[in-house]
Amino acid sequence: MSSGILGVLAAHLLGSTLALPHVNYTTILPELIVLGGMLVMIAAGSVTTRHLPTEAFASATVGIGIASLVASLVLWHDVDKHGPFTAVARSIDVDGFSIFILVLVSVILIVAPMFAAGFLQREGVAGCEYYALALISASGAMLMASANDLILIFLGLEILSIPLYVMAGFDQRREASGEAAMKYFILGAFSSAVFVYGIALTYGATGSTNLAEIGAFLARNVLISNGVLLAGLALMLVGFGFKVAAVPFHMWTPDVYQGSPTPAAGFMAAIAKAGAFAALLRVFVSTLPTLRTSWQPVIWVIAVLTLLLGAVVAVVQRDVKRMLAYSSINHAGFILLGLQAATARGVAGSLYYVFVYSLLVLGSFGVVAVVGGRGDEGHDLERYRGLARRRPVLATTFALLLLAQAGAPFTTGFFAKLYVVEASVAAHSYALAVIAMVSAAIAAFFYLRVVFLMFGDLVSSPAADRAVAIPAGVALAGAAPAGAMATGGGATVLAASGVATLEASAETVVTTPGEPRAAAGELEVSPWVAAGLFCTLGATIVFGIWPQPLVEFAQHATLLF
Amino acid sequence: MIHAAFLIPLLPLAGFAILVPFGRKLGNPLAGWLATAMVAASFVVTVVVFAGLFQLAPAHRSFTQSWFTWFAVDKLNVGAGLLVDPLSMTMAAFVTGVSTLIHLYSIGYMEHDEQFPKFFVYLNLFVFAMLMLVLADNFVLSFFGWEGVGVCSYFLIAFWFDRAAAASAGKKAMIYNRIGDAGFLLALFLIFERTGSFQYQTVFARLGHVGQPSLIAIGLLLFLGAVGKSAQIPLFPWLADAMEGPTPVSALIHAATMVTAGVYLMCRISPVLHAAPDAAHVVAWIGACTAFVAATIGCAQNDIKKVLAYSTVSQLGYMFLAAGSGAYVAAVFLMLTHAFYKALLFLGAGSVIHAMEEEQDIKKMGGLAKLMPVTAVTFLIGWLSIAGVPPFSGFWSKSEVLLNAWAVSPALWAIGAVTAVLTAYYMGREYFLVFLGKRRWTEARPTGDGYGGVRGHAAAEADRGGPGAALTTPEPVAGGHGAAPPHPHDPGWVMRLPLVALAGLSLLGGFIDLPFHPDFDLLERWLDPVVGANLLAHHFGLGQEWGFALLDAALAITGVLLAAALWRDVVERRALEPRFLSMAWYIDWAYDHFVARPGETFAAFSAAVLDSRLIDGAVNGVATVVRVGGERLRRIQSGYVRSYALGIVAGLVVLAAYVLSRAGS
Amino acid sequence: MTHLHLAAALLAGTPAERAFPYLTTLVLVPVGAAILVMVVPRTATWAVRAVGMAASLGVLGIAAAMLAAFQSNDGGYQMVTTHVFASPLGISWTLGVDGISLFLVLMSALLFPITLAGATERRNPKAFTVWVLILEAGCLGSFLSLDLMLFFLFFEATLVPVYFIIGGWGHERRGYAATKFFLYTFLASAVMFVGILALVFIHQGQTGVTTFDIRQLASTHLSGTAGVLLFLAFTTAFVVKAPVFPFHTWSPDAYSEAPAGGAILLAGIMAKLGTYGIVRFDLGLFPHAVVVLAPLLLTLGVIGILYGGIVAAVQRDLKRLVAYSSLAHMGFIVLGAFALTGEALSGAVLQMVNHGLYTAALFLLIAMIYRRRQTFMIPRLRGLQRTAPVMAGVFTLVMLASIGVPGLNGFVGEFLILAGTFLTHRWWVVAAVGGIVIAAVYLLWAYQQVFHGRSEELAGEEQPFREMTWREGLVMAPLVVLIVFLGVYPKPVLDRISPSVDNLVAHVEVVAHPKIPTLGKPGVLTVKVLPGSTSTEAAK
Repeated sequence: MSSGILGVLAAHLLGSTLALPHVNYTTILPELIVLGGMLVMIAAGSVTTRHLPTEAFASATVGIGIASLVASLVLWHDVDKHGPFTAVARSIDVDGFSIFILVLVSVILIVAPMFAAGFLQREGVAGCEYYALALISASGAMLMASANDLILIFLGLEILSIPLYVMAGFDQRREASGEAAMKYFILGAFSSAVFVYGIALTYGATGSTNLAEIGAFLARNVLISNGVLLAGLALMLVGFGFKVAAVPFHMWTPDVYQGSPTPAAGFMAAIAKAGAFAALLRVFVSTLPTLRTSWQPVIWVIAVLTLLLGAVVAVVQRDVKRMLAYSSINHAGFILLGLQAATARGVAGSLYYVFVYSLLVLGSFGVVAVVGGRGDEGHDLERYRGLARRRPVLATTFALLLLAQAGAPFTTGFFAKLYVVEASVAAHSYALAVIAMVSAAIAAFFYLRVVFLMFGDLVSSPAADRAVAIPAGVALAGAAPAGAMATGGGATVLAASGVATLEASAETVVTTPGEPRAAAGELEVSPWVAAGLFCTLGATIVFGIWPQPLVEFAQHATLLF
Repeated sequence: MIHAAFLIPLLPLAGFAILVPFGRKLGNPLAGWLATAMVAASFVVTVVVFAGLFQLAPAHRSFTQSWFTWFAVDKLNVGAGLLVDPLSMTMAAFVTGVSTLIHLYSIGYMEHDEQFPKFFVYLNLFVFAMLMLVLADNFVLSFFGWEGVGVCSYFLIAFWFDRAAAASAGKKAMIYNRIGDAGFLLALFLIFERTGSFQYQTVFARLGHVGQPSLIAIGLLLFLGAVGKSAQIPLFPWLADAMEGPTPVSALIHAATMVTAGVYLMCRISPVLHAAPDAAHVVAWIGACTAFVAATIGCAQNDIKKVLAYSTVSQLGYMFLAAGSGAYVAAVFLMLTHAFYKALLFLGAGSVIHAMEEEQDIKKMGGLAKLMPVTAVTFLIGWLSIAGVPPFSGFWSKSEVLLNAWAVSPALWAIGAVTAVLTAYYMGREYFLVFLGKRRWTEARPTGDGYGGVRGHAAAEADRGGPGAALTTPEPVAGGHGAAPPHPHDPGWVMRLPLVALAGLSLLGGFIDLPFHPDFDLLERWLDPVVGANLLAHHFGLGQEWGFALLDAALAITGVLLAAALWRDVVERRALEPRFLSMAWYIDWAYDHFVARPGETFAAFSAAVLDSRLIDGAVNGVATVVRVGGERLRRIQSGYVRSYALGIVAGLVVLAAYVLSRAGS
Repeated sequence: MTHLHLAAALLAGTPAERAFPYLTTLVLVPVGAAILVMVVPRTATWAVRAVGMAASLGVLGIAAAMLAAFQSNDGGYQMVTTHVFASPLGISWTLGVDGISLFLVLMSALLFPITLAGATERRNPKAFTVWVLILEAGCLGSFLSLDLMLFFLFFEATLVPVYFIIGGWGHERRGYAATKFFLYTFLASAVMFVGILALVFIHQGQTGVTTFDIRQLASTHLSGTAGVLLFLAFTTAFVVKAPVFPFHTWSPDAYSEAPAGGAILLAGIMAKLGTYGIVRFDLGLFPHAVVVLAPLLLTLGVIGILYGGIVAAVQRDLKRLVAYSSLAHMGFIVLGAFALTGEALSGAVLQMVNHGLYTAALFLLIAMIYRRRQTFMIPRLRGLQRTAPVMAGVFTLVMLASIGVPGLNGFVGEFLILAGTFLTHRWWVVAAVGGIVIAAVYLLWAYQQVFHGRSEELAGEEQPFREMTWREGLVMAPLVVLIVFLGVYPKPVLDRISPSVDNLVAHVEVVAHPKIPTLGKPGVLTVKVLPGSTSTEAAK
């Protein structure tokens, strides 16, 4: 009987005082996979007595990434059939939009570790921590993408950011790294504070933090004075602007990218933009369309500033990492084009752009990490002079990645720019479109400068044939995820492995057996990096020559939303 | 058999086509003989067709023979075909005839030349082009021939290409011709716009629909082409320099055939000139002035060939005078006779030059008559004939020209008359200085190495100037010293035969068109179907004709006697050779100073300032602006967290200010 | 739809035409060959060369077959194929050929093997071959695309290989030249990019269809201002590419710094992308604007003719000289394009081919000279004719063709252009004719300096100048033959060009009603208007 009482009590306590929402865990499976995997990894890392090799953690992360990718695709299939829905007390949106970002984040998780592994090994800071941090911040990005509530967005933002601060300072031996972490942290905290205040004001104005409710509220009522709401909007915009590095909230970017360990810089560039832009688009386009007339001009101005400043200042950089930082600012400007258009096409464009950009920036920083050499210091442009002679394949890869960033045709970069500019022209913002293209032309200059440095004296020197050794096997191994990631379509896998064999053979051929590795020793390209480069480049080229699948994906993402 | 006409141009073309690949193998002299044979064959065919045409009734002596459509778009249709009529056949006959003789002569003249086969390649190509010009049934095809002969003359003038003088002379000829051709082209466009066709027949049939201004424009633009090709004022300086070419070339192209193309064109478009008298008058006056100016220049030249060159210009002037005064028959007549005696004179000069081992200065010759009798006698015939001494051919043709000139305007006649005296005089001067008097070549004299290469070098330096120099030619300079005196003698039979033949023609050529009786003027009746309708019909009484004949004879004799009196044994007469004349009225100098050099300066300016500084400067300027902008902007990046935070705040403030300004709206 | 299915479709061709997909193969073969070359060992130079030659010759063969299959009296697009490419963006893989593009394709297909055979690089031939093949795909794609964005893709895609060819194998200042070329043209086409999108969405606003298919876009109704702005946006890209005065300053640098092959492809083919764009897109899409702005473009063309000639006359570098002469020749083509008469436009199209042929020949000859004397500087060359008469002869022929001497190909094009332009814009022609004289001035001067005179006059020229070798002659032969053939009998070419041109002119007439020469007298031209034969309908 007492048991009965207890039972009743328990029932009473549980049932009445706090009503736990019914959670369908499959709907947040990707997030769970990532977080859970992270816990397991840390556990394994701490429990195992003998030191595990970094490859183990790397491949674990890749595995987690693939798992969450699969989970996301399953969700996609689900949404594709039954349409979008919300979960966990309507605080989580499960729609094409969020799943697109989930897929993207998973892909980043698959690729990023490949670049990290070799680097950490080389810098002697191997360990599970780096990957754990990456996984945490990835889950943050996922949360931001699927959040349907401002509070949740804020949580995601913090979960995303804090690990990044740590990763920025991960390379203790370089004080530049520490400084970067410090700057990033202080400014990040500052902007988060602003963001929270923005949420508060929005709540005050609309009486809810749930995006759906805010949207409904604004649709129902006409505010006599929307000053508070607009102020909230402005403050949130500052927070987002900081994360996506939009002018004038960009200033941390060059210093942080330059200071952080190179692969970390690539990772944060990709993951932060993915998460922040996802939330930004959801809040502004899907929640606050009624205020469009108010925020569109703001975005217009910010976009113009971001495009031009990014391109123009990058022209005068001598440090490749800083240059890439500014180029990422320029890219942010392009992504803002889609937001400014505030149409389904625009959103699709931005999504597509983020996807493409993430891979490009990961690959680019991957190469920079290799060229930077031990100590991660050699990032001056001069270091790239004649790289094509010493490292034909590495140089060609980098060249293609840079040209793709410049928007060269038959690369994903071109279609990314096309997509967003098309959107803004469709929205009749011709001036913005023109400015964007002009900035692209300016940007082309500094990408080309690096390319020319690498290839300029290719033929003027007799001994033009040496190479990085990328075992064909590894390259092919890299082909598998690339192929999977590409489309799952057999054709692409074929194409991808075609590229693989191509690179591989180019390698095996140019590698002269008698050649002492000593010369190559300084710029060692580990199989991991090779695979990573292969995935990013493969995706860039494959989807550049055959844009249909990815473009369609982005389009559907916005249709189901 | 008249339909064999297509062979006339094709035979020389065949010769060209054979010689291009196999010329070297055939070598010297076989290549020459092949070329000659081809032209001779073409001459035979011409004669046959000519005869065939003669059989027909005058009204039917014209037919076209179209080959294929050259190019056609919409209304614009250009065919390749021949127009066979008395005029074209007359031209074809004398072109092929004279060419045959000169080919023959060249075999002897060029025998020591290493480029022997190439010479005949060019020569055959030239004959082909000339025949296309003459026989074409439409303007554009004529233009094809027109340009073709121009190009060939460029090749042949610059034949000894390692002499800078020759090279630039060739270029100069080509460029002066292009200036004329520009006019020709514009005329073509205008014709097409107005009549929608290029066919001579069609165009002439539609002239009625063309307004007077357009007619005048067409006439004058075509005349501009003729001015370039036939070396009339103001485009004549190139012809004197063209003498840098081998002498047979001068004889064939720059005396007998090519330069007369302009006159032929005027006769061909006689309907246009007839319909546009104003244009005709311009032609006449330009012709008369050219005749006079060139004659005066001829009085002061010392180069045996330059004298002949200017006399050619002068004679061409006569022909245009005739054409301009509506006397197309007279023009053609003079063209024929001139072809005979001028070719003769050139070939004579050629054998003299040969004999004197490339010496061309008549002041350094003299007394050659005894040593080379054949040359001397034939040259004499040439002289008397060009001078217009009866009964030589020149007399008949020239007097007919003058007669018609009088009919148009006595002033024209007066100019022509004075020129006639001068002509007799300067040719006499040349004859006396070359063939009579003391032998001035026995003492040591400067020599050119080979083909006057010494001039070549010096000229080369003078010519490095640039393309502007195209319009001018460097001054010849004297070269080294002390070669053994030559042993002049008459040339071998291959060279002698043409001399004699041409001498005969110059002697008797006049009889194809005699005045005094309607039955005598064969040529006039022959050409009547073509130009008859457009002749300005003047009827002169018999007495008038006799009077003019005697007057002309008197003028000629005067000139001859004047020359004899002045130059029989005197070599230097500064007073009679003013620098103004020997410098050809400073026209070259003028072109150099007022066209060439300003042109070069302007070009240099455009390249250095306009292009590099202005246009390209603007392009690079944009890049600079971006770089500078970047430099400025990067300064904001201080590296201090506080300033970054400040940036964020500033942004925030501006943003907030903006949205609040919109609040309530 | 599954992507495998798409892939299958891509290879099989649409149900619409089961015939051999000439056009798609034309574009894809070079790409495949390029990938093949990448796989070939770098050390096996002969294999690299063989693959390259085989592929480019194969393309030439396909092009020839296409010519055979081409209906000469049909003015519309032929062999049109459509495949899915990027449907959400409205882009489709739509290729087609008509009289305007036909011979440009053939000319390109001819010049690539010639480049590989005559102007290939000894240093790192593998990379060179790869870039050249990629460039070939780009050029052919540009000429064949009926989808604006696809055209733009190929149009831009040509930049990268050219950039690498100049930057990798060029002469001293190659870095500057390559970057200048890339950025200048890239910036210009960035403007066109926006223009294209604007046009597409104006069209979408009217029809509700998002498409880049020029056959549909041609029917877009544009307000005067919109038309003019779009026209300017497009034309910016084309006049820079051609180049047309005053947007030419990249070309002397690019031509002179590029390696021989690069120069041939730049001047021979790339330049035509600009003029082709003007004819195909400006005239096809913006008739009103064309009529309004024709005087401006005509003036620029004439200025280019005269200015190019004048500046060429003082160049001391053979390649720069040819660059400026190309500027003049492009001027003629622009003149023909905007005269809006069938004669002039046909002449312009023909002249694009002609210019490609004799400019390629000129650059080949200049390359031969460089191979022997290691210089492009005219003052350092002299009297080459003495020891190399054959080369001198060929040079003369090519030079005369470029001057426009009748009987060689240059003349027919120029004549048609000028005669046709004279009908509508007399005084521009009067000015342009001056260019004919100037052309003679600078080319004859250059020829005299280089081939005439005596080499002994120059210091340090002991060893005699080598005559053209058999191999060089063999490479040269097709060009020489075509230069003569097109000069003597261009009719077959014009017969295929003019139907399409007439359609285009008629389209402009119908849409824009420009001033037609009203000369009601017999035998006098009045440009005929084929009712309803706009290029849109002709395409069906």
